Amino acid sequence: MLRGLLVVLFLATGTFFPLSASAEPEGKLIIFHAGSLTVPFAKMEEIFETRYPKVDLLREAGGSTKMARMISELGKPADIMASADFAVIDKTLIPQNAKWNIRFATNQLVLCYTDTSRFADEVNQDNWYEILGRKGVIWGHSDPNLDPCGYRSLMVLQLAGKYYNRPGLYDQVMANRPEKNVRPKSVELVSLLETGHMDYAWEYLSVAIQHGLKYVKLPNEINLGNYNFDDFYKKAMVKVTGKKPGTWITRTGKSCTYGITMLEDAPNPEAAKAFLGFLMDPKGGLKILKDMGQPPFIPCRVPTAQMKAQLPTVLQKWVEVKN
Amino acid sequence: MNPKKPLDPFFWLTVVCGSVVVAFILLPLIQMMAQPSLQDLKEAIQDPAVRRSIWLSIYTSGLAAFISFTIGTPFAYLLARRDFPGKKFVESIIDLPIMIPHPIVGIAILGLAGKNHWLGHLMHQVGIYVMGTVTGIVTVLTFVALPFYVNTVKAGFEAIPVRLEHVSRSLGASPAKTFLRVTFPLASRSMLVGIIMCCARAISEFGAVVIVAYHPMIAPVLIYERFTAYGLKYSQPVAVWLILVCLVLFLLLRIVTGQRGSKTAAGKKPS
Repeated sequence: MLRGLLVVLFLATGTFFPLSASAEPEGKLIIFHAGSLTVPFAKMEEIFETRYPKVDLLREAGGSTKMARMISELGKPADIMASADFAVIDKTLIPQNAKWNIRFATNQLVLCYTDTSRFADEVNQDNWYEILGRKGVIWGHSDPNLDPCGYRSLMVLQLAGKYYNRPGLYDQVMANRPEKNVRPKSVELVSLLETGHMDYAWEYLSVAIQHGLKYVKLPNEINLGNYNFDDFYKKAMVKVTGKKPGTWITRTGKSCTYGITMLEDAPNPEAAKAFLGFLMDPKGGLKILKDMGQPPFIPCRVPTAQMKAQLPTVLQKWVEVKN
Repeated sequence: MNPKKPLDPFFWLTVVCGSVVVAFILLPLIQMMAQPSLQDLKEAIQDPAVRRSIWLSIYTSGLAAFISFTIGTPFAYLLARRDFPGKKFVESIIDLPIMIPHPIVGIAILGLAGKNHWLGHLMHQVGIYVMGTVTGIVTVLTFVALPFYVNTVKAGFEAIPVRLEHVSRSLGASPAKTFLRVTFPLASRSMLVGIIMCCARAISEFGAVVIVAYHPMIAPVLIYERFTAYGLKYSQPVAVWLILVCLVLFLLLRIVTGQRGSKTAAGKKPS
């Protein structure tokens, strides 16, 4: 009976994971990733598991900031963390929980809508901000405090004010967005669009493509998708909550760059390395990302030669040093 | 016959199991309650967002219980007193909300209330919005909590002898009058217990609510938001406050029902 009880307690606390890992990758591989990576990672899981049938890939998706916190604060066991903003890994996980950070893909912001959205037949690159300000139009974005897509949406609005030379644009548009239109993560907004609770929502291009949504593509100057415009992106600044309630930090605009790392105390490092190798292969994971609207870096990038040296040897051939 | 058998293995088995159960429930809760310092607790309760969310939780759960009471009482009476074809089926429908995973409840309600569904379209036209509103929160809470009320009160009605109602009817009271003057007072204790169960269920709901309404935040959603945005340290004090407030509320309700219960027990039937 006692043994049965122990098993129940073990399962209940979720601390049950393989204790040893041999050279041939096998067992559970736990990946935490940004919500916006769900579809490509599901595809990668499918292919990866046929290549390594002994590995059981377990994915958990969520706002990147939250997922990183699950690791750093709750000590939730994970092998790999992939963030929609590579800076989250730098800020939350390095140096305690991880040592390096590979940038592997990019994305950009688009304004999504459906056939039934109000003014769907007239919205375009030049009038979207005016439509978002119209009475009766319901639009939303994800929570800037929890999801990089959230603060990035606000940055796009700020940049739009400068780009279209309309100083009051941000305030006008935001006045038409009650707090209830803010949701924890951006992918949730897709179902609100599809059920007709919302007319417009800010999403990553990849999410729009993967969910078959209509979208307004924005000029490179404001879509946060092209790092050649990082100097202009820098002019956008959004205050998000800091380390405790009532404190704030400022996020500065920069291009959307995905980062991935393996955690220091990964329960299954062998399988994790195998997966990272597959992800960074231009014919493997990077191709999937490309097909799904998340243009990858080929090859992937690390900022310093020092960091490259810290990578597991098998992974070093897949990266270049480029800041 | 020996009245005292201290080494009876079965007795000890029950004690051991009992302690395991109690420890299993209390250990995590005590651990959490003991974490925040008094300063943390003070800061938390001084935060208007925290007070607002706890109040919203109590208020929406209370509303859900009130709605359950209003529409659930006559329904529970019907189930307790009448047999009709398909009754078993209806009873299992009542239990459905207990079994369905909570996020699915939220998704289902959102899907129905969206502009793309005819019902949602109608609701939007008359100005009823479910996404991100108190209406939405109460709808979801009622959905998940109603079974607890109906089942409890149904059992209460079943425990009341039908002959008391027959006596009332034979003395000339109408069915409605009999219900109000005889059955209702006798079942009042089970109704209060039902309301407590219903409230308790509603106040603990998270999964369905967070899908329908992230803002305005009920306490469980705020705790989740605090956890994701600031970490454990700032979510625990809010959780402690919610537990304390609930404990006091339910204790009060228990005391009230206890008194009423003992009165009826003393006056009507010895139990």
